[in-house]
Amino acid sequence: MAPVVEMLNITKRFPGVLANDQVTITVDQGQILGLIGENGAGKSTMMNMLYGLFQPDEGTIRLFGREVRIQSPNQAISMGIGMVHQHFMLMPNLTVLQNIILGKEPEKKGFIDTAAAREKIQKIMEAYDLQVDLDERVYQLSVGQKQRVEIVKALYREARILIMDEPTAVLTPQETDKLILVLQKLRDEGTAIIFITHKLREVMALTDKVIVMRKGVVTGTLMTRDADMDMLSNLMVGREVNLDIPRADIAPGEEVLAVKDLKVRNKKGLFALRGISFQVRKGEVVGIAGVEGNGQTELIECIAGMLRPEEGQVFLNGADITRMPIRRRREAGLSHIPEDRLKVGSAKTCSIRDNLIMNRYYRKPYASHGVMDNRKLLELSEKLCQDFQIKTPDSTYLLSTLSGGNMQKVVFAREMEMDPELLVAAQPTRGVDIGAIESIWHRILEARDAGKAVLLVSAELDEVLSLADRVLVMYEGEIMAELPRAEATESAVAVYMTGAKRQEASRRAGV
Amino acid sequence: MNRSGNLSKAAKAAGRSVFKRVLLILLALAVSSVFLAASGYDALAIFKGLYQSFTKDIAGTIRWSTAMVLAGLAVCVCYKADIANLGVDGQLFLGAAAASMVALHVQEGANRALSLVEIFLCAALAGMLFALIPALLKIYLNVNEVVSTLLLNFIGEYFVNYLVNGPMRDPSATTNLSASARFSESAWLPHLAVFEPSSANVGVYIALVLLGAVTFVFYRTTLGHEIKMVGANGEFARYAGINPKRTVIKCMCISGAIAGVIGAIEVTAVQHRLIAGFNPELGFKGIVVSLLAGNHPIGVLFSGIFFGALKNGGTNMERMTGVPSAISSIVEGIIILVICADFTFRFVRKKRKAEREGT
Repeated sequence: MAPVVEMLNITKRFPGVLANDQVTITVDQGQILGLIGENGAGKSTMMNMLYGLFQPDEGTIRLFGREVRIQSPNQAISMGIGMVHQHFMLMPNLTVLQNIILGKEPEKKGFIDTAAAREKIQKIMEAYDLQVDLDERVYQLSVGQKQRVEIVKALYREARILIMDEPTAVLTPQETDKLILVLQKLRDEGTAIIFITHKLREVMALTDKVIVMRKGVVTGTLMTRDADMDMLSNLMVGREVNLDIPRADIAPGEEVLAVKDLKVRNKKGLFALRGISFQVRKGEVVGIAGVEGNGQTELIECIAGMLRPEEGQVFLNGADITRMPIRRRREAGLSHIPEDRLKVGSAKTCSIRDNLIMNRYYRKPYASHGVMDNRKLLELSEKLCQDFQIKTPDSTYLLSTLSGGNMQKVVFAREMEMDPELLVAAQPTRGVDIGAIESIWHRILEARDAGKAVLLVSAELDEVLSLADRVLVMYEGEIMAELPRAEATESAVAVYMTGAKRQEASRRAGV
Repeated sequence: MNRSGNLSKAAKAAGRSVFKRVLLILLALAVSSVFLAASGYDALAIFKGLYQSFTKDIAGTIRWSTAMVLAGLAVCVCYKADIANLGVDGQLFLGAAAASMVALHVQEGANRALSLVEIFLCAALAGMLFALIPALLKIYLNVNEVVSTLLLNFIGEYFVNYLVNGPMRDPSATTNLSASARFSESAWLPHLAVFEPSSANVGVYIALVLLGAVTFVFYRTTLGHEIKMVGANGEFARYAGINPKRTVIKCMCISGAIAGVIGAIEVTAVQHRLIAGFNPELGFKGIVVSLLAGNHPIGVLFSGIFFGALKNGGTNMERMTGVPSAISSIVEGIIILVICADFTFRFVRKKRKAEREGT
């Protein structure tokens, strides 16, 4: 079939960086292209050029065989391109219907013709099995539903080329399966789909063609049927990746973290945690699985001291830390990798050094009597940059000069270097490329083998299953099940993630 | 790691920002000259005034720069922690009032150094306590400090007006002057002998010492690091174990104390009594000084000197050529506009970029 998108020999330079070097991407009608690569490989830059946010410095873009210059997203939309961003672009206080027609309202005598819009949207929803209640306000929707709204919105604008930017990062396994069905249907109807992802398994399951990028160039263009996962990850990273990390066979020791009957309300006054109890012992990784927004954030914040629970207690090494200030918790051996590294875990406008020294700048030997030893602190931050392979000329550069993966390394380096008794890691590999995932997983398991206690919260089921000795499944503020490593398979965990089933209380040690 | 590389990188960045600011100033001066020419005055009056400030009348420049630098410092300490202290004027009034209360009790022939230390400590304390009000309101009642500090300025100003018309009014006054009695000479902050009879005074040393102290706190102490991090990302600071509320209080206290010191300098060195309307909105000038300096203490020194010279030049030109001294306010206004426009452009650029990156 004829290619509908042809981005030929595209080169894009940013000050000091060659983001894309002679990159060629083509997609046929009715084809799903998987676009994969590490962070900073240049995938987003390519897609942003297709969506009219940047102009290429060199090269041509052809849509449906015609050469075009795409100057703005509006123009891109009018040419039939739709993009579903990773962070949804919806107005939470408007209804689904209002969101879909926003900016392209059908008019009748100067008024919005809601009936006509409704009819058109209903047709789309039925055709692709994308049902969402049109009169519901967007803030009431689940993540999966919001994504459906985004897709409908693109189709309502008659998109024939659909760009999906990491669409499965926020979905449950069931929602992912459903999305895959929808995308396949769209493909069969002739839509060209560009699917950006980190997850090789989805690439294998869904796509027809794969393009792998690394450091601004294409390292592989191949049909999915000719590819396998090892091959793809080699093309992405440029070397062999081993995520099958050996773990020492050690029995967990004494209890480090204990959480007893924790209850807390969220901002809306609803219970985010409805009485959570569990322990984490030395030399053990306890993984918390669950769809995001089921109380994991609140749980972590209660343990780290960012949030005061209404009821219940948190114990660290036997001492009640429920009301202890954050700094004293950290001094008692707690390290915390927060799930939102930009809002909570770092200061973008400060230097890498300033970010790295945050948990020691006031301690001996780095400071005495309130005066910092800037030389020692710089030595420390340079050492951390080296040890954790943070890609920067030196640590005096601003944090904002780093890519997302390297920012995460900064957070990780800072928290690991403290040699914590308890490591609380929330989404430690979110948005991080496979090479960095490998090193972060290694470090987490090294900490475990060294007898540390690790509490891991992740929306990636793969991550929890690969690392955890014990898996707790959270749903709506409760622990639905506790599974030892041997029993924690994807299908076993997934059942509990949706709240469809609850384990009998007697099987869970912590309750 | 390449240390000299770091240095030259920093030097280059500093050079760029200084160059940009000089351009800004020239632009503002040029636009003001257009206003002057349009109103039929000598178009070069501001340049002449500035020239005189640095040649014939250095003393006047020192007198005003002292206050400008201190006001700029008071503002920049808070801005560094991302709090807006628009209440330097109010804190300055309270400092002046406290200084006067102590100074009026100083007897003729008392030990001057001791009296002055006492006066300045009380002034700093008064400024600090007055700055504590908006700080506590912000922390406990979530009152926006922009509003509270701004409104407290009026309270500070009218409090002084009340004092000099009521309890502190000079009992032996024969005129309608709203002022206290003159302090005894033992409570006067000495003038700089070389510049007599101008009111350039040893306050300039106080300003330099405080400037050094603030610079040291910013770049060498844990408190400075905490202030910077709270300003950069309060949530991150809290996560790392810093108490942002306490940092806010500390900043407001430091800022208020500096403001109180300005008040004390103004009454003990220049006026020698508490007098209504002694303060030509130095606190607001401090905002401009700090803004032009990019909230950097060393920058505050230079921008404070510039605005001191401008203020001095404006006053001189009015006296000699009839060019209204308000012209220096126009220059200030234009500088604020241009800097804010620059901030806005940068903000928009950043936002655009963020949108492009899809974050």
